[in-house]
Amino acid sequence: MRGKVRKLSPPSERQATGGRMQVPLRPEIDTGTGATSGERARAMIEIASVSKRFETSGRKSHLALSDINLTVNDGAFVSILGPSGCGKSTLLYIVGGFVAPSEGVARMKGAAITGPGPDRGPVFQEFALFPWKTVLGNVMYGLRQQGVKRTEAEAQSLRLIEMVGLKGFEHFYPKELSGGMKQRVAIARTLAYRPSVLLMDEPFGALDAHTRTRLQNDLLNIWERDRKTVLFVTHSVEEAVFLSDKVVVMTRAPGRIKQIVDIDLPRPRIRAELLLDSHYQKYVVDIERMIDDGRDDAEHS
Amino acid sequence: MSTRRLTTVLMGALPILFVLAIWQALCSFGYAPPSLLPPPGKVFLRLAQQLGNVGFLDDILATLIRLFAGFLIAVVLGVGIGLAAAVVPAINAVVRPLVQVLAPLPKVALYPALIILFGFDHASKITLVTLDALFPILLSTYYGASMVEQKLVWSALAAGTPRWQILFKVIAPAALPSILTGCRIGLVISCIVVFLAEMISSTDGLGHLLVGAARTFQTVDMFVPLITISLLGLMLNGLLYGLRKYLLRGFPEV
Ligand SMILES: Nc1ncnc2c1ncn2[C@@H]1O[C@H](COP(=O)(O)OP(=O)(O)O)[C@@H](O)[C@H]1O
Ligand SMILES: [Mg+2]
Repeated sequence: MRGKVRKLSPPSERQATGGRMQVPLRPEIDTGTGATSGERARAMIEIASVSKRFETSGRKSHLALSDINLTVNDGAFVSILGPSGCGKSTLLYIVGGFVAPSEGVARMKGAAITGPGPDRGPVFQEFALFPWKTVLGNVMYGLRQQGVKRTEAEAQSLRLIEMVGLKGFEHFYPKELSGGMKQRVAIARTLAYRPSVLLMDEPFGALDAHTRTRLQNDLLNIWERDRKTVLFVTHSVEEAVFLSDKVVVMTRAPGRIKQIVDIDLPRPRIRAELLLDSHYQKYVVDIERMIDDGRDDAEHS
Repeated sequence: MSTRRLTTVLMGALPILFVLAIWQALCSFGYAPPSLLPPPGKVFLRLAQQLGNVGFLDDILATLIRLFAGFLIAVVLGVGIGLAAAVVPAINAVVRPLVQVLAPLPKVALYPALIILFGFDHASKITLVTLDALFPILLSTYYGASMVEQKLVWSALAAGTPRWQILFKVIAPAALPSILTGCRIGLVISCIVVFLAEMISSTDGLGHLLVGAARTFQTVDMFVPLITISLLGLMLNGLLYGLRKYLLRGFPEV
């Protein structure tokens, strides 16, 4: 089952969608995922009593995360929301295995996370594409690392590049692409090795508003197809509510979980409809109020 | 595209032509007596004649062999040690103090010892070139490799790259711009040092030609090897520039 879910949809279906929006939920994939309907949702990621302390030079150590407990179910889209510096990235890096927690443990499918692995694919705000590789080279990278033969990896990568709407740019270098296109490449590069979980750290934070909404829509469409588990860091309330099943609101440093809000809005979500939806608006306003509570100064970088 | 390239080359040639014009003016208006500063036309004419002379070509060849051998050994050592130090803290702990002590040392001071060790022929000069070209290459490799964006490494690790392959798959290619910058500096230093070594003690090579001509006050013949090493440096730099442009085609602002 799992293997099937994680597979790319066959080319015929992809052709129909062409990487554009308005993809209705495809029933056979949805039943395949199973976990979405809520009955017997399996835990994909468990974060148990995790704290992270950074030893800063000179002054005393800095507590970035304090006693975080969070379970992310298989197939869930969960956003982590909070002011900058509250430890959102750190939490994501701990799940990615890039950073070790000072206390507590993070588990992936029940096994303690000890390092990075292709079951958890990161997407960073800075794209972090390999500048010496073309779009195709970047997307192929993970597949080649997994031991997929060159021709096969190339064919799969070309399909992915088409899916993220970059057909025709296969042989461009990252420097020749706009920010939005770069992030599409980064998403394709991560999707290529079929991680069970996507770890996205403010992936659209560096993009202009228009590009941002387009990528949000496209990301939702991609997600609707195979319902990967997504852990998505953002500091935009609208973005979190629009995308997520669950929004985890964090407090200012030291980062603690303030509240977890279930977003009970129907899917597939169409932006134009949702923005007029009073439930959506209420979620946004409530969460904004939640963040403003106990906040002394306004902006802070 | 090609017209733009032509414009760049012409723009680069202008300052050189300007210097040649000043040189010519110094001679024409009698500021410098022709016995001390021969006019450029005469020097280039002599250079053209010499290029048909087998002995002169042998001297160029000797200089080139030393230059290339010394430079290439410096590249291999500098890049190797620089990368190793950036990746392995234990190696860094050994290399760092050594570099701090040896880098500012005037390597020419070691030349007499090198001659005693390796003799008058290629080996002592190659070693001197290597010693001088090594440090800029090593240092820029080290800093380039130390400053590789951590998220590139993370992206590769998450994609399933084994840790021991990160050096070759991410760090070295990501540090390539710095490595090649170091190589360019190292190449210029190699040109200077090979000439210097041949001037100090040699039986052949361009530096030796210069010293020989100076001893007999043949000023035209003195300028020929100077112009030759400059032209060689220009050509080698051009080659390296082309290589750099090709290797760094994906990197911003080259
Ligand atoms: N490697 C590190 N060393 C020291 N302090 C760090 C390090 N990484 C993050 N921090 C600190 O931890 C806190 C949380 O950082 P981060 O997780 O990046 O926050 P966010 O992503 O929510 O903006 C910040 O105060 C930051 O300065
Ligand atoms: Mg962050």
